[in-house]
Amino acid sequence: MNLNFFKKDGEFFKKGYAEIFLFNVLAIVIGLVISSLMLCFLKQNPFSVYAEVFKRIFNDKYSVGEIFVKATPLIFTSLAFAFTYKANLFNIGAQGQFYMGSIVAVALSLAIGDKVPTVIVILLVLILSCLAGALIGGLIGFAKAKTGANEFLVSMMSTYVVQNFMDFLLRTVLRETKAEYLQTNPIPANAFLPRIIPGTRVHLGTLIAVLFAIGVWVLLYKTALGYRIRAVGYNKDASEHAGINSKIIFITAFAISGALAGIAGFTEINGVQHMLLQNFNASIGSFGIGIAILANGHPIGIIFASLLFGFLNVAGTTMGRIPGLNIPASIIDLNEGIVMICVIVSYFLRMRYVSKKEKKRLLLSGGEV
Amino acid sequence: MINTITGILSSAVMMCTPLFLGAIGEVFSERAGVMVCAIEGIFLLGAWGGFVGAYASGSLLVGLILAVIMGVLMAALYGFVTICLKQQQIVMGTAVNILAAGLAAFFQRVFFGIPTVPLQVKPLSHIAIPLLSKLPIIGQVLFNQNIITYLAYILFPISFFVLYKTSVGLTIRSCGENPASVDTAGINVNRVRFLTVIIAGALGGLAGSFYTIGYLGMFTTGIIGGRGWIAFAICFLGNWNPKGALYGTLVFGITEAITIYLQSTQNIPSIPNEFIIALPYILTIALTVSKRSFAVPKQLGIPYNKEL
Repeated sequence: MNLNFFKKDGEFFKKGYAEIFLFNVLAIVIGLVISSLMLCFLKQNPFSVYAEVFKRIFNDKYSVGEIFVKATPLIFTSLAFAFTYKANLFNIGAQGQFYMGSIVAVALSLAIGDKVPTVIVILLVLILSCLAGALIGGLIGFAKAKTGANEFLVSMMSTYVVQNFMDFLLRTVLRETKAEYLQTNPIPANAFLPRIIPGTRVHLGTLIAVLFAIGVWVLLYKTALGYRIRAVGYNKDASEHAGINSKIIFITAFAISGALAGIAGFTEINGVQHMLLQNFNASIGSFGIGIAILANGHPIGIIFASLLFGFLNVAGTTMGRIPGLNIPASIIDLNEGIVMICVIVSYFLRMRYVSKKEKKRLLLSGGEV
Repeated sequence: MINTITGILSSAVMMCTPLFLGAIGEVFSERAGVMVCAIEGIFLLGAWGGFVGAYASGSLLVGLILAVIMGVLMAALYGFVTICLKQQQIVMGTAVNILAAGLAAFFQRVFFGIPTVPLQVKPLSHIAIPLLSKLPIIGQVLFNQNIITYLAYILFPISFFVLYKTSVGLTIRSCGENPASVDTAGINVNRVRFLTVIIAGALGGLAGSFYTIGYLGMFTTGIIGGRGWIAFAICFLGNWNPKGALYGTLVFGITEAITIYLQSTQNIPSIPNEFIIALPYILTIALTVSKRSFAVPKQLGIPYNKEL
């Protein structure tokens, strides 16, 4: 099995770490500056608003904790996107897989939450919400493998289908006993994920997310399966000649991707919301994509990029709470969109910089360009 | 009964209009090799631009123009990054869609604050075409619509003609199949691609404005709700040609009209409302999975590098 091209790719990325970091940080800073200028449209001084936001967040343990709380599901949805991206597949439907995981998590927690010990509930919910996401993801991968259907379209549409399925359940069987809002009853306290830092809402799910990120890194870069997934992503035809069944890889990669998004449902239901609400966390799927890009698809980078998005989220809400300023919550989308575009542009600039440097090095060493 | 059917068909033609405009724009850009994944955001900003223009000026024409401008601006940003800077299209599309959602919601608030009553404009009126609109059923269905729908009627033969019968069309199609040959002929591939993306942006912006000033007369942030993606899907399912796009649009337009009708009557309680809402999306999945032969433009989604 001769896949030497792959080794080269790995070396290239190792060499580029410093540049990736530098360019990304610069892009993020520029993005934040541009988006903070948007505050001028609200006749606010961006600097004083941001100074106030920083002061409010970092003087308050609870707010700092919120950054981790918001980052937790983003780590999962972002890993979900990054995982299929490595196989050159696009799972745009993490939102739907997340909802499916949430549905299973809430249903199971309501059913057995106060009947069995916490450890068992948590483990069962974790496994089943993971499977629920994997089922949706696996079906998309199956469609791709069996019929060659465009996985981008199918996964995109699956989100809307699952969302309506969730609305249906919320209106009928899962609806709260009061039947007032489209939401479920709160799950029993016995099924809560334990808080790990007193005075904040940071829960065990955050640690689980970090563990999963490390796990995904190991899976992708240190196991045969991960090698096959990346090989299919790099050159499908070459890997088929080398004996890798790309159809099985499609299904596996999508199932694992869906499973990761499904677990986000578990951490959100059992760790934060403690109930299922209509339209909750409506954009973590698309933010996941942004984060994966920011981190160049690297599982460990994803942890930090998720923290940045978590911060942007908390900063947006904090701004909205500063009395008298009237800053709308939509500033969060605006910030994140601008930062994402800056990072994408910085990819281009970094590639150009790297190739120029390489040319120069080759010239100096007397080699051919 | 006849009245009900006429009503459903008439609203089907309305719902078809924006989908067709969006899908045709997408056909042009994808034939040249670029997927406009920002289409959902372009629709949304078109809808918002149309509403703001019409509300602020009192003139629906200004609304339409502003909608097209917003669509073109978003498409230009998308085109610049994906074509000139050669970045991943799906990824950039996601970024633009998030940005568009933020821009629309943020500036809606900047301009109008939190209004106590919903802001409304009077939507485009239906123009009955003399004689033709008097035909039984067909007259009501096809020839008593607003100006954007009539534009869509004209667009179909034009797009077909341009794409298959002119040298411009040949150039566009070649950019998606074999850009190197276009380059050899001395034509700038990236310029052709950029222009088709701009066309997709203009049509997408117009399509978006249909939802605000052509139909509902108001703007909400969820107004598009995935319809941009449906137009995107129609382009795929219609095999990247205007005729296929027309058939696809009819399927989705009629589905949507039936959805609206069923929701308004509620006389079939055995079918859950949510299932009816999800119908277009389920249909997309079913069609994507069942369709076997795709005539995908060979270079779709792949940036053109002159050096290679």
